[in-house]
Amino acid sequence: MRRIQSRIDINAVDYRENYAAMTGRLQEFHARQNAARYERPQRDLDRLARQNKLTVRERLDLLLDPGTPFLEFSTLAACRAYDGTVPGAGVVTGIGILQGREVAIHANDASVKGGAWYPLTVKKIVRLLDVAVENCLPVVHICDSAGGFLPLQHGVFPDRHLGGRVFRNQTILSRMNVPQLAIVGGHCTAGGAYVPALSDYNIIIEGTGAIFLGGPPLVKAATGEDVGVQELGGAIMHTSVSGTGDYRAASEAHAFALAREIVSQWKRPQKAVIETAPIEEPFYDPRELYGIIPKDRKIQFDMREVIARIVDGSRFHEYQPHYGTTLVCGFAHVWGFKVGILANNGVLFNDSSLKAAHFIQLCNQNHTPLVFFQNITGFMVGREYEERGITKDGAKMLMAQGGSVVPKFTVIANASYGAGNYGMCGRAWDARTLFMWPQAEIGVMGAEQAANTLADVKIRQLQREGKELTDEEIAEIREPVLERYKRDVEAYTSTSEIWDDGILDPVDTRNALGLSISAALNAPIGDPHYGVFRM
Amino acid sequence: MRRILEIGNGEIPIWLAHTGKGYVVHVRDRAVPCALTPSQGRGAYVLELEGRSIPLRMAVSETATFIHLYGRAYEVGRIDPADWLVEDGAGAGNDSIVAPMPGVVVSVAVGAGDRVEKGQMLLVIESMKLETSLSAPRGGVVAELPFAPGQGFGLKSVLVRLAPKEE
Amino acid sequence: MQIQKLLVANRGEIAARILRTARTQGIATSVLRHVNEQPGPAHLIADEIVEIDGATPVAAYLDIAQIVAAAQRIGVDAVHPGYGFLAENAAFVRALDTAGIGFVGPTGEVIALMGDKVRARAFVEQRGFPIAPSAIEDDDPATFVERARAVGYPLLIKPSAGGGGKGMRVVHEDAALEAEIETARREGERYFGDGRLFVERYIERPRHIEVQVMGDGRGQVVHYWERECSIQRRFQKIIEETPSPALSSEQRAEICETAVGIARAVNYRGAGTVEFIYAPDGAFYFLEMNTRLQVEHPVTEMVTGIDLVAEQLHIAAGRGLNHAQAEIRQTGHAIELRICAEDAAADFRPAIGEVLLVEEPQGAGVRVDSGILEGCKVTTDFDPMLAKLIAHGPDRTAAIARMRAAVRDYVILGVTTNTGYLDAILAHPRFLAGDVSTGFLAEEAAVLTAPGEDVTDILVAATALSDRRLVRTVDEIPEMYRLMGAWRN
Repeated sequence: MRRIQSRIDINAVDYRENYAAMTGRLQEFHARQNAARYERPQRDLDRLARQNKLTVRERLDLLLDPGTPFLEFSTLAACRAYDGTVPGAGVVTGIGILQGREVAIHANDASVKGGAWYPLTVKKIVRLLDVAVENCLPVVHICDSAGGFLPLQHGVFPDRHLGGRVFRNQTILSRMNVPQLAIVGGHCTAGGAYVPALSDYNIIIEGTGAIFLGGPPLVKAATGEDVGVQELGGAIMHTSVSGTGDYRAASEAHAFALAREIVSQWKRPQKAVIETAPIEEPFYDPRELYGIIPKDRKIQFDMREVIARIVDGSRFHEYQPHYGTTLVCGFAHVWGFKVGILANNGVLFNDSSLKAAHFIQLCNQNHTPLVFFQNITGFMVGREYEERGITKDGAKMLMAQGGSVVPKFTVIANASYGAGNYGMCGRAWDARTLFMWPQAEIGVMGAEQAANTLADVKIRQLQREGKELTDEEIAEIREPVLERYKRDVEAYTSTSEIWDDGILDPVDTRNALGLSISAALNAPIGDPHYGVFRM
Repeated sequence: MRRILEIGNGEIPIWLAHTGKGYVVHVRDRAVPCALTPSQGRGAYVLELEGRSIPLRMAVSETATFIHLYGRAYEVGRIDPADWLVEDGAGAGNDSIVAPMPGVVVSVAVGAGDRVEKGQMLLVIESMKLETSLSAPRGGVVAELPFAPGQGFGLKSVLVRLAPKEE
Repeated sequence: MQIQKLLVANRGEIAARILRTARTQGIATSVLRHVNEQPGPAHLIADEIVEIDGATPVAAYLDIAQIVAAAQRIGVDAVHPGYGFLAENAAFVRALDTAGIGFVGPTGEVIALMGDKVRARAFVEQRGFPIAPSAIEDDDPATFVERARAVGYPLLIKPSAGGGGKGMRVVHEDAALEAEIETARREGERYFGDGRLFVERYIERPRHIEVQVMGDGRGQVVHYWERECSIQRRFQKIIEETPSPALSSEQRAEICETAVGIARAVNYRGAGTVEFIYAPDGAFYFLEMNTRLQVEHPVTEMVTGIDLVAEQLHIAAGRGLNHAQAEIRQTGHAIELRICAEDAAADFRPAIGEVLLVEEPQGAGVRVDSGILEGCKVTTDFDPMLAKLIAHGPDRTAAIARMRAAVRDYVILGVTTNTGYLDAILAHPRFLAGDVSTGFLAEEAAVLTAPGEDVTDILVAATALSDRRLVRTVDEIPEMYRLMGAWRN
């Protein structure tokens, strides 16, 4: 594989302006992330201390192998929901390393509303368990939740992918022989009681941990029975009488040491075999990505410059370099793992769609995972392209992608508009992980286009009613629509709603991909089987 | 990959990692790159540490590492946090022995106020036509023995209660 | 008496050391072993091992009847008692006499005389040798406290039946006198089964100087010069050397002659040591006479080139002294360190453990008398002394330099020893200058037990990297994760 020859001039004015713009955005991003992780009202921290509980971050430090990475998902989930009062949606999820194995982590954050489940909390947990199911990843649950947030129970409880899905996914994992361990470091009430109960192993921390279908107040109301927390569902009762609990721990530290010991008993995964090469750092400095991504989204940039700052040795074997050139396809290694890359260098035309369909099939034939770098404004429109069958060719790309069995990973590097999002493995297409860069946008179309379209509809409607509009009046209609739409397509909205697995600092992309690929190999890779390609 | 090391009278938590280039031991908020290679002689090694090559002699026992360094011998106790905590874990949950089934007390070997060792036989019960000896789940002082020989008890009755552990 | 077969009624380094010489003399050898005792070097040297049993291991080594019966059973001509245990037990000597077995040492009468500190002092005083002002309880128990007071402070309380520093107490002021007497009495009862006491004037900043003597039991006595044993911790000698840096040649001659005179007065047979208190003004006083081979005898052997055990066996066989006094010369300087299983950093608490690795120092002028083998377990059943390290050099400075190198090279792993502490003493300017007294270790305790250079990082790294389970767990982490380290997105 040859090294990509970068054409970036790091002394150029636009490079430096881009760099400044990106670092400014990242400063804000990191500040928000830090706040979501650590900033809590003092009374909530005091309460944890009073209860003799560690924070969820301290718990993770005790649980995971020291000196190893943790790929956290959706740190900024719910950042634009519930008036921003539920940082991280009250739960920490991610993939960490425990006794050298990849495990999925689901940890309630009791410093946020006592760990209560909001609708987005449930969505985040279900997403994590979906990741576990897709990748055959063992799960460690750290349970400490007040239960469903009752005022929003309709968004927590009834639907297919709400609360029940958590428990359903647990049973699916167990059926797949993927082990789960729950550490009960707080109360697990009602539905939450099933998290430890459905885990193959569980540990209850004496004093703080408790499991019951109905807590003491509910029992009192329902049957008049007076019973304390410990008698009703404490560690001693469950581990010596009911058998709902397996191990009891004298302290948090004991619980996590015990958890590490339990996980060390699990059989090691037989990971799927793909092509690998010795690990090599990128030749070009990943920080140069900051200057490569234009501060103005409408300016085109060469995705090869991005690839060069993410893959091993900046080496890239490009496939069909002279055909369908608005889509760059080719092979590279990420942390030693061979991957097939599809990256947008413009709109998808007929040829670039066909190239994609073909390349996806090559990668499946070869068990090569796929990585999508999105900067896509859509498939080409217009009479000529419709006549050439742009929809038909786009459908081939989707069919190939949908039939694909190799793990797929998506990075929304800039724009992600319209059907291009589908072709490039958007959220609905089951990328094993999907991350966005902080300046990226996602929507049916770009903000200005959308605002203009919406404004035009309104203006034409008014004109039909015989109203003549001044430029000021048109602007008055257009501006609010544009403002709202701009906000709706921002990465922060996407990540708040968990349409992605989190926003990434571009320099973290390489590690996030490496961890995602390695975790994905816990699941076997089958043989591809496609639907009908419209010819 | 954590250990608690006992050096002198202090307990030092450490952890070991491998950066891909070599091992790094994390001690006292510092990350110290290090390597150990055997050299000539029994128990002889050379430790590479922050640019220094340090010859030393070592012997490792189950719970401690003995190191002869710069003409002096040192003993370093090693505690695996899991072992340490499991031992420590004989906490509140072990304050009482609860009847595993209904039965009758056959004999009692200790009295309230007696100091008992972990594993010491406390009483014999009979149920389901079988005699079973029950022993102390931890060391401590017997606080209460609610049933005398000959007395019957129900499922989950507390047969022995130990005084709470002093911190 | 011809000694064809010898039993060493002892253990540890001294048993091994005696057996080595006996073997070179063509004597068949045997040694004791308690049934639960781990084999030591002596058990590898001896031709025969005699198992003994008792309530405690120490009790077995003190069991006269059992040992005499064993000696008879295996048919030995003589018993060498080493030091400690039955070495100064007159009853043992009598029991051997009765059994027709020889004893490598003086007569029971001399042992009894010198073993009773009070009688010994009186005997020595009567013959005009110097002793420190004192009061003896037995003289008139009713007035003992009063007479003790009259000796003046500071004073030293000692058990009449004592030895080895056990039960000795220094009293600086009158208020403490009676309480200290009672404490000393209890200790005397506990250690020696005899609560009788005497007090003597405590000489400030004294040195402990002793003289090695050898008598043929027929009036001939020679000395092998002095040893200085001022480096003591709670009256236990730790470092001994010869010649004493404190003595001029006149003083040396005077003190040695005094020792010979005392030994001659009892018609001494075998090896013995006359101990003196040496005051800063050059005065010296008889302290006691040890009627046995001393722990520290090797320094004398190193400077005189004479094997004292060989001399003992020679005399025990009734063959008189081997050397005329004029033939016994001091050449160079020798030092001995007592390597003990104890933790200097934890107030010298006895250390226990399994000896995992031993590597003795080598080189010119270095001698190791060791009582341990790899794999043996050090327990609190016996004295904590594991071995003695002896170094000899042309002069004191050279001997100290050799010793420092040797003690730092002495690798004993698995049980904590005092080698670091000993090395700190050797490095102390006062020791180097010879400016010491028996109070030296107490005065300099803070300096001597000060923690050395902080080597925590080295210890931690070596411990972590030699912990196979730990390393394996780390190695099992995939390379990618090692390279990423504690990355967080």
